Amino acid sequence: MSVALQLIVSGLALGSIYALLALSLVIVNKSTDVVNFAQGEMAMLGSFACFALLTGANVPVAVAMLAAFPIGVVFGVLVERIAIHPLSSAPPINSLIATIGLFLVFHHLAGWIWGYDPYRFPSLFSPDPLTLGDVRISQASLGILAVSLGVMALLYLFFEYTKLGIAMRATSMNRRAAQLMGVNVSRVSLTAWGLATGISVVAGILIAPLTFLDFEMMVTVLLKAFAGAILGGFNSLPGAVVGCLVVGVVENLFGAYISTTFKDAFAFGIIVLVLMARPEGLFTRLAGTKV
Amino acid sequence: MTQIGAKRVVYAVTGAALLAAPLFLSHYGWFILCTAMVYALVALSLNVLVGIAGQISIGHAGFWALGAYTSAIAVQSFGVPFVVAIMLGGAMAAVFGAIVALPALRVSGHYLAIATLAFAVLVQQLLFEWESVTGGRQGLPVPRPSLGAELTSDFSYYYFLLALFLAAAWVVGNLRRSLTGRSLEALKQSAVAAQCAGIARARHIIFAFALSGFLAGVSGAVYGALIGRLSTETFSLTASLSFLTMAVIGGLGLEFGALLGGAFLALAPEVLRQFKDAEMVIYGVTLVLCMRFLPHGLVSLARLWRRG
Repeated sequence: MSVALQLIVSGLALGSIYALLALSLVIVNKSTDVVNFAQGEMAMLGSFACFALLTGANVPVAVAMLAAFPIGVVFGVLVERIAIHPLSSAPPINSLIATIGLFLVFHHLAGWIWGYDPYRFPSLFSPDPLTLGDVRISQASLGILAVSLGVMALLYLFFEYTKLGIAMRATSMNRRAAQLMGVNVSRVSLTAWGLATGISVVAGILIAPLTFLDFEMMVTVLLKAFAGAILGGFNSLPGAVVGCLVVGVVENLFGAYISTTFKDAFAFGIIVLVLMARPEGLFTRLAGTKV
Repeated sequence: MTQIGAKRVVYAVTGAALLAAPLFLSHYGWFILCTAMVYALVALSLNVLVGIAGQISIGHAGFWALGAYTSAIAVQSFGVPFVVAIMLGGAMAAVFGAIVALPALRVSGHYLAIATLAFAVLVQQLLFEWESVTGGRQGLPVPRPSLGAELTSDFSYYYFLLALFLAAAWVVGNLRRSLTGRSLEALKQSAVAAQCAGIARARHIIFAFALSGFLAGVSGAVYGALIGRLSTETFSLTASLSFLTMAVIGGLGLEFGALLGGAFLALAPEVLRQFKDAEMVIYGVTLVLCMRFLPHGLVSLARLWRRG
């Protein structure tokens, strides 16, 4: 029983990292109608930038961690202005192809600059487990959960109480109406990309100590985030979070009790099953389209 | 020169160039030409799915793999003639195409993209784990086909692939102008309006996926015979992504665009190889720039040139 509990807690921690990336995907998708296949690679490149701060400039670990979010914001804003914004009037498949192009650029750029070997990434959290009764829980898992939940809480406050957050919600509901009400849609798109990339870089530095830092590290994480987001409904932020937590926990239990070989394939099985049975996700209702 | 006259000249020049190209090249050149034809078939299959039916797939490496493995196993284990094996490969991929169409009936756009992606990743993993049949990590050897005459050199194989592509392009061109093609076009414009006009959406979408799967499967079958050895690594997510990008970069409106897309994907690594580590970075930048400045693909260059 205690083993299962440990698996559940570490699954929740893993799931909360997926959830951060899924939140980035959903925020970008809701405000600009683009599915950003490069989101994971942007997180990876941002994590490498933090790593460069750590090793090159000898910044303390805590400062480098705090730098993750602003680095991501700047990165996201630049990408949006240079590559995505000019495509806003082209057919939707074009921005999809452009993000695939960006995926390739960032993926291989990291390999080009930092080489193809994995690096050890320092963790803020101590490796010693906490013992509660007969359950041993790693501090890293609890730390990851705490950071993720903190980011989600801040995000909630942002969307609920700031003018810009409300403008973003309005735009995602009806872009044209929001524009007519005086919302600067271009700035909403810029904010979405900045915010999303900031969050995804935080996800990157949270997972880097677990998986090592290398140019491949975010590819499967991105696919898991997609799985979780679809499970919860791609249009709902809380849905995506719950979906990703479920994916993290179930994946951990599946790997421990059923099959490690198919641990990764399992997430894709979820995608296919959910899309066939309940495409709107478990927690949202599909909006009808008018003709 | 009239429009139609100009079109005929373009076709004649392209046809002559395609027929004559191997005469000016050596072994490696023939291999690249064959690869371009294999890719052009995949681009054609995506033309059907994305260009005509308005669906999307970033999982075509899955159909490609199914075609490649089915035909290789048919030839190896059951001694089926090559042409029949190609058709079997196509048929297997078509069946799976129809299955992948099921989520497409309920979701569209980004969701469908992710569903097809998941399908391709599943296919790759299953082929990798199913070692007794597919050879797993050791790979599966594929014999060179014989077709009455031996197709042992890439020189003769190229002409076989060219004929195959032209036949497929002819079918797709006719489909575009047929009732089914027009119905798919109407469904793409507005599914609800087309259904009100009496078009059966489910049947048409399943047909488009099956046909697209079939063409991709055929391409996979002839690819296996070209390379001589199948390895599951080939059928990765990267392959699926490259396929969609080449189809869009070639242009989705015309069969000619598939040819350009295939040539682009076959030639880009050759041209970019000299840049070593920067190779894929430059490729990615090219994709982004193409989308920015040439949103309708390479095939639209001709239109721009005529106007300009």
